Amino acid sequence: MTRTLTGIAGRVAMVTGAGQGIGRAIAERLAAEGARVVVNDLNPDTATEVAAAIGGIAVPFDCADRAGVQRGVRIAAEQVGPIELCVVNHAYMKMAPFVDEDPADWQRTIDVNLKGALWVLQTTARSMIAGGYGRIVCITSEWGITGWPQAGAYATSKGGIISLVRSAARALGPRGVIVNAIAPGVTITPQLQVDADAAGISYDEMVAVYSRDVPLGRLGQPADIAAVAAYLLSEPAGALVGQVISANGGSLT
Amino acid sequence: MGRIAIITGAASGIGAACAQVLTGTGFTVVGLDLRQAGACARSMVVDVSDAQAVDAAFAAVERELGPIDAVVTAAGYYERIDILDLDEAAVDRMVAVVIDGTANACRSALRRMLSRGRGSICTIGSELGLCGDADAAHYAACKGAVHAMTKTIAREAAPMGVRVNCVAPGPTDTPLMTAEMRDPSYIASLILQRLVEPREIAAMVGFVLDADDHNLVGQIISPNAGAVV
Repeated sequence: MTRTLTGIAGRVAMVTGAGQGIGRAIAERLAAEGARVVVNDLNPDTATEVAAAIGGIAVPFDCADRAGVQRGVRIAAEQVGPIELCVVNHAYMKMAPFVDEDPADWQRTIDVNLKGALWVLQTTARSMIAGGYGRIVCITSEWGITGWPQAGAYATSKGGIISLVRSAARALGPRGVIVNAIAPGVTITPQLQVDADAAGISYDEMVAVYSRDVPLGRLGQPADIAAVAAYLLSEPAGALVGQVISANGGSLT
Repeated sequence: MGRIAIITGAASGIGAACAQVLTGTGFTVVGLDLRQAGACARSMVVDVSDAQAVDAAFAAVERELGPIDAVVTAAGYYERIDILDLDEAAVDRMVAVVIDGTANACRSALRRMLSRGRGSICTIGSELGLCGDADAAHYAACKGAVHAMTKTIAREAAPMGVRVNCVAPGPTDTPLMTAEMRDPSYIASLILQRLVEPREIAAMVGFVLDADDHNLVGQIISPNAGAVV
């Protein structure tokens, strides 16, 4: 159900990793709520496609590159004004047994997911403080709470994001910038095919395996996460700070 | 045909704020409270610790208005008693209102919702149930019990189409507030350096009740101005 939330219409909102999956759904929802959306992705083609579809602007950059993030945020501000709402959603993931983890993959995962979240957070927070208003939502993961076999680097980076969010909330709340996190459970995105390939089973089998542990009886949809993200960015959610909202159909309570 | 909601503890504070928000989103709200609940379309004087009385009220609402779509369990009270001075009367009363009162309303709701395969419940927990309270161990313990109860009920009910979650308010500007919570040094200790407004809790409740919008199940969500992170 699409509602009209207060505090989103007319504001500039950036979503990182918005070229597909959860990020795309969040960008679509924020556009539907009336935000001017900055669509970031590493892939310029998907960023451009999503931006065109929702009437936003595409600002592709690699979130792991601090200078690139600063440049991208500056370009976005020049085009549509300073970012007031930000969803840090981008992520990199490769499944591997912990003991055989390729050092380059490990480093890339930490660089993109954890350090990248910090770069986006600090860059947007700086302009939010200057503008006197800001809301940031970081997308972490249920696996960042529970850990997960074959996903050591990813789970590690996502657990780090949770502590980063709590710290950022404490540091920035008194300066008018409110930071929270969403920890989705397994959600229907292109990533599921990667998981299936890694497990050597079909996509449908992968969905069945993951669904077994979900009391709601279905996996999450990107729109489920987008609804929670939009709520956290809305005006009445202003008493939520440093919280981690698990949107997972009850798989982890 | 409008949707029907029951709110316990609807006469004041968070319950009354929830009544306003749900009424504003199209619900016909019935308030259950020890007193008349002015913000509700209908008000029934019920002690939530009385399981039979609660169930009779639910039955009357369904008979007269139709199927209940949403339930909010906001009945409760706060009192500060040093842990060494807690006696049976104080503890039993808190258990009866907060734990049994929540369980009674949830049970009466689920009896009707599960067979229909739809409905949504939002319990009201507390930030103090997450972090404890040196001055009100019985309150914090009972709210912690509500959190665990919510998670359990949520897991039972979700496969049958009924959604259950919990909103755990932080220090909210209601009649339950004690002088200590209005102390400027306490407020300065909160990340946001302000109290939570009842409307912020009510908006959160309204959001979690809307099971068509998201996949929140069995979650404890705490708008608390940064009291517990």
